[in-house]
Amino acid sequence: MSLYETDPINVIIAGTGGQGNILISKLLGDAMLEEDHWVTIGETYGASQRGGSVASHVRISGEAPCSPITPRGAAHLVLGLEPVEALRVLALYGGPGTYVVTNVRPVHPMAVAIGEAAYPTLEAIKQTIGELSRKAMYLDASQIGINLGAPLLANMVMMGALVGCGFIPLERERLERQLEALFQTEKLALNLKAFRLGLAEIEKAYGRVHFKSRKGGNR
Amino acid sequence: MAGIAVNRAGTTQLLMGNEAIARGALEAGIGVAAAYPGNPSSEITTTLAQAAKELNLYVEWSVNEKVALEVAAAAAFAGVRALCAMKQNGLNVALDFLSNLNLTGVGGGLVLVVCDDPGGISSTNEQDSRHVAKALDLPLLEPATFQEAKEMTRWAFELSEEIGNACILRSVTRISHARGNVTLGELPHRKYRARFDTSRKPYASIAMTTPPVFHRALHQRLIEIAGIFESSPFNRYVGPENPELLVVTSGSGWLYSVEAVRTLRAKGSAGILKLGTTWPLPHNLVRANLLRTSKVLVVEEIDPFLEGNLKELAADIEPGRTWRFFGKASGHINPFGELDPDVVINAVARILEADYNPRGADYEHTAQQALQGLVPPRALQFCAGCPHRTTFWAIKSALKMDGRDGFVTGDIGCYSMALTSTGFSQIKTVHSMGSGMGLASGLGKLDRFGFDQPVVAVCGDSTFFHAVIPALINAVHSHSDLLFVVLDNAATAMTGFQPHPGIETNAMGEEAPKLEIETVCRALGVTVEVTDPYDIPGTTEKIVGMLRDRGKPRVLISRRECALTRAKREKAPYVVRVDQGRCRGESCGCDKFCVRVFKCPGLVWNGDTGKAAIDEALCSGCGVCAQICPRSAIVTRVLP
Amino acid sequence: MIVEDEACRHLEKNVIKRGLCTLCGACVGLCPYLVAHRGRVVVRDECNLSEGRCTTFCPRVSLDLDELSRSLFGIPYAWDGIHRVLDIFMARPADARLRARAQDAGTVSTLIGLALEEGFIDSAVVTSFDDKSLPRVSAVSNPGQLAQSCRSNYMAVPVLEAFNRAASEAGRKRLGVVCTPCQALALAKMKGSRPEERNGIEKLEMVIGLFCTWALSYPDFAEFLEKEVPDPIVKYKIPPPPARVMHVFTKSSRIDVPLDRIMPFVRPACGLCHDLTSEFADISVGAVEFADTPAGGSQGEAQAWNTVIVRTEKGMSLLDRARHKGIIVTDSLPKGTFDHLQEAARNKKKRALEHIVRETGSKEDLLYLKTGPSTAAALLDE
Repeated sequence: MSLYETDPINVIIAGTGGQGNILISKLLGDAMLEEDHWVTIGETYGASQRGGSVASHVRISGEAPCSPITPRGAAHLVLGLEPVEALRVLALYGGPGTYVVTNVRPVHPMAVAIGEAAYPTLEAIKQTIGELSRKAMYLDASQIGINLGAPLLANMVMMGALVGCGFIPLERERLERQLEALFQTEKLALNLKAFRLGLAEIEKAYGRVHFKSRKGGNR
Repeated sequence: MAGIAVNRAGTTQLLMGNEAIARGALEAGIGVAAAYPGNPSSEITTTLAQAAKELNLYVEWSVNEKVALEVAAAAAFAGVRALCAMKQNGLNVALDFLSNLNLTGVGGGLVLVVCDDPGGISSTNEQDSRHVAKALDLPLLEPATFQEAKEMTRWAFELSEEIGNACILRSVTRISHARGNVTLGELPHRKYRARFDTSRKPYASIAMTTPPVFHRALHQRLIEIAGIFESSPFNRYVGPENPELLVVTSGSGWLYSVEAVRTLRAKGSAGILKLGTTWPLPHNLVRANLLRTSKVLVVEEIDPFLEGNLKELAADIEPGRTWRFFGKASGHINPFGELDPDVVINAVARILEADYNPRGADYEHTAQQALQGLVPPRALQFCAGCPHRTTFWAIKSALKMDGRDGFVTGDIGCYSMALTSTGFSQIKTVHSMGSGMGLASGLGKLDRFGFDQPVVAVCGDSTFFHAVIPALINAVHSHSDLLFVVLDNAATAMTGFQPHPGIETNAMGEEAPKLEIETVCRALGVTVEVTDPYDIPGTTEKIVGMLRDRGKPRVLISRRECALTRAKREKAPYVVRVDQGRCRGESCGCDKFCVRVFKCPGLVWNGDTGKAAIDEALCSGCGVCAQICPRSAIVTRVLP
Repeated sequence: MIVEDEACRHLEKNVIKRGLCTLCGACVGLCPYLVAHRGRVVVRDECNLSEGRCTTFCPRVSLDLDELSRSLFGIPYAWDGIHRVLDIFMARPADARLRARAQDAGTVSTLIGLALEEGFIDSAVVTSFDDKSLPRVSAVSNPGQLAQSCRSNYMAVPVLEAFNRAASEAGRKRLGVVCTPCQALALAKMKGSRPEERNGIEKLEMVIGLFCTWALSYPDFAEFLEKEVPDPIVKYKIPPPPARVMHVFTKSSRIDVPLDRIMPFVRPACGLCHDLTSEFADISVGAVEFADTPAGGSQGEAQAWNTVIVRTEKGMSLLDRARHKGIIVTDSLPKGTFDHLQEAARNKKKRALEHIVRETGSKEDLLYLKTGPSTAAALLDE
């Protein structure tokens, strides 16, 4: 069921500007780099501050570097920081075998905020994600972040979910070491907590997954 | 210690293409970097600026790209290696200097990095800068991977010194902004003694004598360069000896082509010639590879530059030998817009007559439906609290009240978004830096042909120094009838808040003299007024009055710090809420005025209650919306 | 009421851009989309509502004079004269100084001042002008301020914008308005509007309407005057025919401007107006025009009186109060004056209808006038 034997592994992190895609893509990328993989991360910029969609394509290979954009149908996992963005990315790059792990808290685009367009219901989103994916996992990462005192921590909660879902061969300890390298003491504790809560939530809701770590090939 | 200056040769990091280019320049031991911000090139210079103190570099955000190239060339004239980076539009600005620099040559190494924006994701055009290299007979390099971005940049300085001329390195968004594995090299210990050799022949081309002479010398030099390129490690072939299809590619096309061959499992029938040196083409190398087969697919970003040059070359290889070329001319590769792996995969599949159906028709159908029906669009908009929103609001009201069908000529920056409803669709023209003023200067002289519409030219503070001043001088000297509104938010915001001459610091974080826009304008003899865009009635009234004052340029500086800058520095001044009892919602007298017309992202509509509300997560706390509610239902409270 | 476009779009296309707008101001001050600026009503932004108070109140949209007359007076609308009259006479302030200061004989400011003093109203919406001849409307609560605030300079001014704003203030509960015929018409439309469309019209207690032949457009006329008369102007007066001048008074002198030079500034929308005497007011006040030179009197004498038409009981009680307090004196109209006035009013109606028919090209299409064809047709066929 996992992607351990697939090469490359294509993970797309979908969100809106300001949600922290880039941080997650860097953490994931650096973690896989340390395990001797080729990593390519492609991103959209420029519109990020001002309400646009942001997708980070993280392509991981043991053999050779990949292009910065995922071919249609080749996304193995969509990590959603926002549910409609997860659906958007899934529809663009996913296929019948794609896994989806997503936050359920919406960020309304302007058209919806002013009552000119309708934001789909969570049921409708889940329904369509279900039709377009192999398996989907949901959690309210934003609420966990809010409970910890900062809604922005939702991205770190999703990082935990990514590790916890077991679809990607990622060691929890590896990620936690990345966090330690990145954050100073005051911020570290909070981010670690968010990360671990996300991991625990996913495991609680969808079952614990064991895997052996895998090393990349020569470069 | 700045990350990029880490001297750990042999370690591997995930670097952005632009960071890799910066590292390559550092590994070449540059002394000077000059640039003007422009997406997707800005990070090159920002990264170098971070290392400036440590490595004793001079890094400058110049007033525009032409001056930036001149500053870099100056260093090269004095024997100091220098890098200049810009986006494709910036190359146009620098072109006058560059098209003389190629003739005069340089002393020390000079590398010009141009980052194109295929698809115009953050540009007003998607021009292909490579044509300039061919037109000016300068060597052109295109990195295809992040490692190569570093290696090529470093090597380009050696090449530049060997040929005594500038080198052009062309990147695109997908290389510049994507990240990948880069293994670091050594940082040299260089000590420069900058000196301009006054005894050598001048760096000058003189009318009547030198142009054709220097031009011929350039052509001769080009042949030498092609010879160097024959053995460059940046060119290589991967694939069978005689493939059915030869894919010739450069830049970002390389990784897409590799992806295509891998996806289609076509290693046995398709070979890839990767070219990193794309002008001048190394004839022998290209010739040898072309002779492998008769079907050639060219994969490149934007124009059929490589494609056209290959066909030129192919015509002279062997009389009677023909090839079937596929690419932009044949429609296999898109001749406009950005490249992506699906385009290349489909092109190769088509040529090799292979089946490629990655997700099946049913999935495709459901996915398309989801994209169209279920998923609402996300538009670009001004941030909550953005002073541009209120300036354009005041302009809109004023023009309507004025009643003479006036309009706004626009320029480049965040405020360009006033083309759309976020800025009330006020801007009617956008071209290049400074064009808003140039056009207004022309429009303001058409009265003799019956023109009677008021013209408002707008520009930002950085744009003012970049290109607007000469156009303003033109308007003053020709008594052009226009109102000039400078949107001064004390930032080059759109590209990432780089400093400019109106800011008190420079690229390296040192103090710098701040030039006042109103002082410059007054020196030109125009009346200047200043307004705070957060004062909507005051600003509107000012504009209404200034629109009536005709016959010469008038300047209004609409000055208020960018909301993002303020937010980084301090807390919001107000807590804002909508009094649900007072809000009129959809009824006559309001009709959702704040959310539907004013459209600050902090204002949202609650369809259940039929009232407006403040989204606390997005609200910037500026309190401006309280001025526009017709029922005074928006209430602000000062935060202690 | 249904219109073919959204409300403010209908207003812009069929009233403003068509040159019908009288600048009464009824549509302004209700919402952020319509503003009055320098003599024009401007649609600054558009709402998406198909119905709105702007079109409901506008006297140049869907005007059913019969319906209005029935709801205000209980009688159908008459096309042949000055419509409803409870009483008609001459009047002027008892105080000679007031007479000298006022632009008309002073009756209007006396009556509205009384209404304020006696508590008939707590706010009077009246017009004035400043040093530069720019018109200004204010809602006055202090009777002492009235003299300065209640003067006209024949320029169209959006009085009802000020009414709309005053009516929305919680502190004001009883309003009076001094206005022109088109404005009185709009106020009548407001009174007939549905509850959900109200703008505070329930607070309206008293309408004093002025006789009006035309209004001048601002800012053009103000700019013209600035060149003609260098000093600040304190009073304007157009004496009745046969005089063909406008008297313009500065602090020290009087300048006579020939009417021929002023007529180009008449607002084109006035050409379609049918109402000479503010038919929908409580009290209508104007000059006295003699049918012929009065026996033993002069035109100078005539200028010292106003014609007053009382149309409602409310108006009657105010006049009675004024007479009782002795602040005005009244007298019956000189012989022939009433007939003269009826004829002038009728002629204005005829000219208006003819103008409208010239616009539309057909007697069946009377633009915004929803009126029974019979009497109007009779007038046209003369």
